[in-house]
Parts: sequence; C-alpha cells; structure tokens
Amino acid sequence: MADILAAARASKGSSPPAAAAKPAAPAKPPAEKPAAKPAAAEKPVAKPAAKSAESGSAAPKDTASILAAARKGAKPGPVSKAEAAALAKPSEPAGKKKIAVPPMPAKPDYARPERSTVAADTSTRRSFMAIAAGALFGSSMAIGFSSLAATHLMWLLGLARFMFPNILIEPPTRFKVGFPDALSPGQVETKFIAQFGVWIVRYEFEGQPMIYALKSVCTHLGCTPNWLEAEQKFKCPCHGSGFYKDGVNFEGPAPRPLERYAISVADDGQLMVDKSRTFQEEMGQWRDSASFVSV
Amino acid sequence: MHGLPPYDLFLKQVSGFLGTYYLLLAVMNAVAAFLLWRGERQRELCRVPIVDFPVTPALVWLLVSGFFLLISPLAYSGDEQWMALISLPGSVRSGINWMMNPTAYTLGSLALVAAAFLARRFLVKPWVAWSMLNLSMLLMGMSMTDQNFANIVTKPDNVPIVGLIFLLGFFTWLATYQAVQNDDRAKQGLEPLEKLDSEKVLVWPDLVYTELICMVALTAVLLLWAIALQAPLEEPASAVKTPNPSKAPWYFLGLQEMLVYYDPWMAGVVLPSVIVAGLMAIPYIDFNKQGNGYYTIDQRKFAYIMFQFGFLVLWITLIVMGTFLRGPNWNFFGPFEYWDAHKVEALNNVDLSEYFWVTALQSSRPRAPEGSGELMKFGWALLREIPGIVLVIGYFAMVPPLLVVSSKFFQGLFIRMGFIRYMVLTNLLLMMMLLPIKMLARWTVNLKYFVALPEYLLNF
Repeated sequence: MADILAAARASKGSSPPAAAAKPAAPAKPPAEKPAAKPAAAEKPVAKPAAKSAESGSAAPKDTASILAAARKGAKPGPVSKAEAAALAKPSEPAGKKKIAVPPMPAKPDYARPERSTVAADTSTRRSFMAIAAGALFGSSMAIGFSSLAATHLMWLLGLARFMFPNILIEPPTRFKVGFPDALSPGQVETKFIAQFGVWIVRYEFEGQPMIYALKSVCTHLGCTPNWLEAEQKFKCPCHGSGFYKDGVNFEGPAPRPLERYAISVADDGQLMVDKSRTFQEEMGQWRDSASFVSV
Repeated sequence: MHGLPPYDLFLKQVSGFLGTYYLLLAVMNAVAAFLLWRGERQRELCRVPIVDFPVTPALVWLLVSGFFLLISPLAYSGDEQWMALISLPGSVRSGINWMMNPTAYTLGSLALVAAAFLARRFLVKPWVAWSMLNLSMLLMGMSMTDQNFANIVTKPDNVPIVGLIFLLGFFTWLATYQAVQNDDRAKQGLEPLEKLDSEKVLVWPDLVYTELICMVALTAVLLLWAIALQAPLEEPASAVKTPNPSKAPWYFLGLQEMLVYYDPWMAGVVLPSVIVAGLMAIPYIDFNKQGNGYYTIDQRKFAYIMFQFGFLVLWITLIVMGTFLRGPNWNFFGPFEYWDAHKVEALNNVDLSEYFWVTALQSSRPRAPEGSGELMKFGWALLREIPGIVLVIGYFAMVPPLLVVSSKFFQGLFIRMGFIRYMVLTNLLLMMMLLPIKMLARWTVNLKYFVALPEYLLNF
C-alpha cells in the first residue's frame, strides 16, 4: 500500500485518474498557492501544541487519545434535555427582541363576508322537502355520508336479528329427570350434571322432606362444585367454597347458598325441571312451592 | 392424581436428573473456588494445625464441590438405600407437613422478609449469599426424592415458578447488596456508586448489540425449554366440569388467593384496580427526593418496607403458595403431603353480623317482616349489617387521623403532604392491609364477611 502511494506521489499530475493521486494534489504546480495557505493555518495550531509539549508531557499521538481529546470539548453521546437547556442558555440574547408585526391591509370588497340579502321568510313548508333532499343528497359528500349511515343502520338491524336465531342447539330448559320414587332419601343424583348442570337432591330443608334441583354454579365465582359423597357436601375446586347437602353455604368465600331451579311433577308422574326460573334462599324464594316437590 | 407409581420406579426416574443436578452443583462450586483462587485477594480463614496449611475461602468451596461430587453418584445409582442417605428423613418431612398451614406459611414468610430486612448487612455478604444458595439447592435436591414433592415441583407448569423463586431471591439480594453499599458510602459522605458510572453509551452499537445478544439467548432458552418441557394438556374443556384444583395462571395466583377471602367484585375488581391506581399514584404521593437513580434503603425506609411487604409478602409468597401448596378443593397441603381430594378441613365461616347479633347480643339477626316492601327490606338488611358497616367506615375514616395523633412519623407525613395527599396515601395503605387483616380474621375467628349483603351481591 505504501509503495502504491509513493508511486502515485512520484507520478504527480501525470496520472490523474488514480484515486491515490488525490492526496498528492496540493503538490501540483497550479495548486501551489492554496497549498501554502494550509501551512500558514497550521502555524497557530502548532503553537499550543508546542506549548503543551513545553509544559512537560508530549502530546499523545495514538488514535484513542486524539479521539478522547476531541470528545473532551463536547460531551460524548446523546445530550439530555437538561444539558441541552444549559448549553442553549448562554447563546440566548439578553433582551428578547419583539417582532414588529406590520398592520394588516384593509380587506378588499370581494373578500368581505356577503351580507345575506335573502329574507329569512322565504323558507316555507313547500321548500322543506327540497331542503331535506339537498341536505341528504345535495352534494357528493352528503350522498357519501347518507349511504354510510344507511349501511350502518342495516348492519345494526342485521346484528339485532342475529341475536334471535331460528334454531337454538342447546339442551332444553325444561326436561324430565325420572320418577320421584327412583330417588332414595338423602340421595344426590349427579348424572344430570354433564348435560344440564343440575343436581337432583332428595333431602330435607327446615325439617320438611322434599326433592329439589340445585344449580351447579358456585355462588362465589361460578365454578362447578363437586359433590363429595364421603363428606356429604358440595365443594368448589376454585376457592374452596363448601355447601351442605341442602345447598346452604358453610365454608370458604361463597356469600350465599346455591340456587334452585324450578321443579314440578309432570302429567306422567315424572319430575320436571325448569331451568328458566331460579330461586335464591337469601331472597326468601325457597319457600316458593315451585322450588321443590314435597315427598 | 390417582395413585403414584411404585417408589423404586419413581427413584429410577428421578435419579438421572438428581445425579446431574448434584454434578452441576459441584461444577458451580468448583468454578467459584477457581475464581476465588485466581483472584488477587487471598484471605486466610485459619490454618490447619499440624501441617500448617492455610485454609482459604477457595479451599472451602472446593471442599463443598467435592461433597456434591460425592453425593452425585449416590443419586445416579437410583438405589433406594443409597438414595435414603441423600433424602430428607421422613420425620423431618412429616414435621414440616404438620407445621405448615396458611397461618404458619404467611406469618413465616412475613417473619422471613422482616428478618432479611433487619439482618441485611449480614445477608449481603457474598459468602453468606453463596452459602444460602448452596443450602437451598441442597434442600431442594434432598426433597426431590419425596414423591409428592417431586410430583408438584416437576409439573411443566410449575418448573418456571421454581426458577422464579431463585431468580427473585437473586435480584432481591443484588438490589439489597447495592443499596447497603450505597448507604455505607452515604455515611462516609461519598456519592452513590451509580453516580460514579455516569458516562453515557451510544445506542448503536452498545445498546443494540446487547439487545441482539439478549434476543438470541432468550430465543435459544425458549426453544430448549419448549423441547424439554412438554406443554401440559388437560381434559377437554367443559362448562359443567371444573378441573380440581382449578388454578389461575401463575401470575394471577395471588389474586386467586385473595378471592378465598373476599367477594369476587372486591378481590377481582376493586382491589386489583386499587393496586394499579396506587402504583400510578406513587409519583404524586412520594415527596422524598432522595434515592432517585440509585439503590438505597436507609434514605427511603418507609417506601422500601411498604413495597417489599406488598410485593414479597402479599404477592410473591401468595403465588408460591397457590402454585405448590394449594391442592384439590383449594385445600392447603404441606410440601410433602399427598394431594388427597378427600382431605377434610373444617372451615365453618361465620359473618360478622351473626357474631354481633347472635353470639354477643344473644338475640336473632334483624329480619324484615313478611311482605314488606323493597325499601323496607333494604333498611332491615342495613340494620342487620350495621356493625360491619360501622367498622369498615370507621376503618377508612378514623384510622388516618388516629395515626396522625398517635404516631410522630405519620404526623410528619401529614404536615409534609397536606390533607388530601395524606388521606390518599393512608387509604391506599389501609386498602393493602385489608388482605392480611381479613386473612387473620379468617384464621382466628373464622370470619367470613364484615358486611354481608348477599341479597344485593354486596359483600365485604
């Protein structure tokens, strides 16, 4: 590399296309004058350097130290807001100059707002339809917004219709759960949980023997409790709420008893559960005769 | 959870992991010993009497490494008798199970955090921290031969939580270490360590390179993790069958634990919102200008203690409890206890109104007469719950002024902050204290709700 550079310097102006010749450019005969200038400019720069050399340590020449020296003046890296403000302060002039605004020229006639010469009483009942039609379809903008509103309205109507489907594929809210005799006293029938989410219990409440249908939703946060035969209680796996066989809460955070579904004896003697009605104990609804079947 | 595999088979399964685990511990300590030995500072602890050989920290950790190296083949053997040597004795395990219940666990973790705060100058010494790490790792290895413990800890869901415990311990230690250093420097009139290292770095390349390296490393870890630990598949979802136990994602287990003590709208809506709002309010409440940009404990003791209490005791330990100690039916199980779905725990809970009217006044709870209107019913319900309502209102309205009167510290806060800011601060603190208060009331007197208005879905 050094050889090539040296060769390029030696050939001077005779080989203009070489990129390596560029550094040699100041040595060209026509460029002698400008070449002298940098030399003169170098003088004042050299003085402080010499001074620092005199003061003891020789100025370091490696790249890192030069970079460090260059960075000393300006802080390296990004400048924070506070620093920027501190930097900007001294450059600010002491007295802020007020910008003088020249007075606006008087408005020409054509720019003045037009006085409405039309009297207000021209709008009659007859022109109402025309005005309405103009507001809705009078311009391309009005047509666009009108059609947008119409589309939205239709979409909303469609959505409302969607909420009432023609066919509902879900288990019926009224269903039969077998004959009352099939339940032995104190039995909790769990086989309807998977399909209907209901326990059929033959037990007693306030001393009265009865059959009732308990909704299998925990009154705390809505998990499905499990019936624990050994402990004779419903126990929720989510937060540990526990309910007696009659559905009354006794442990954990559940604030109120399990809810009952309406239950009745159908015409054929089978028990019929109606999930569309629920009965809450804390509202005193368990005394409602629709909430149980006496046995 | 029906039936565990035979014990010898289980030991065979766990032996490979345990052997490697101890081997890694040995390597870890050997590396530490090597680094200490290479280090410039050689501290002499004592000298071996006869041969006059200096005992240095490096030698100690080398011996620890040798110990782990010795028990590694015991674990690899998978033999019941050999592995009994490196297991926790049965009596210790049943003792821990017997001692563990929500009360002991929560109070114990509170005591641990308090002790760690008081003894922080001792705990931040690197050799103490390293010993504690080794001890906890050894304890964990010795517990892994217990089938019930291993079953829960090695569940793919729970493995990250184990990692989280160690990671959290490390970061808490690191922050405390730096804080103690800064506090010591402040006493000598020096500026904090963070201020010394104030040179700014460039986004490119310094930051971007770091981010790139982190990204690659994280992706690699996630890949390995996904390959090593299979995602757990549970039974098909069903609206009428809830898995038992049914657990929230790990980061919500603190909330789920809160739900054991409070009504859903309280524990699921109000208190979480208060947590978020309270965290957002901190900059407006905090008037302490110290500790900005560096770690310190002494200069902001109140803020530090409050945060550590809320975060470590009321959040992290509840997550750990929910992950490892809550089993079927959300019952509490000791770490070495079989998760028996039929465990019976007597948890008869009683509302405050019943305690007040029935137990204290020997009468019955006020009840609206038959056929009364809605408004009358509401009035009677309010009358029934009047003790709880008075208590709750008094708690939020009376405690802040009482604190001002009784405590010099809160007096200072009140003067510095003014009425509104002081009330916001104290009410946030009181909100935070609601959880431990309710927990305590549940454990001691089986209190269910202070205010129970199930008719209006309002319970507190």
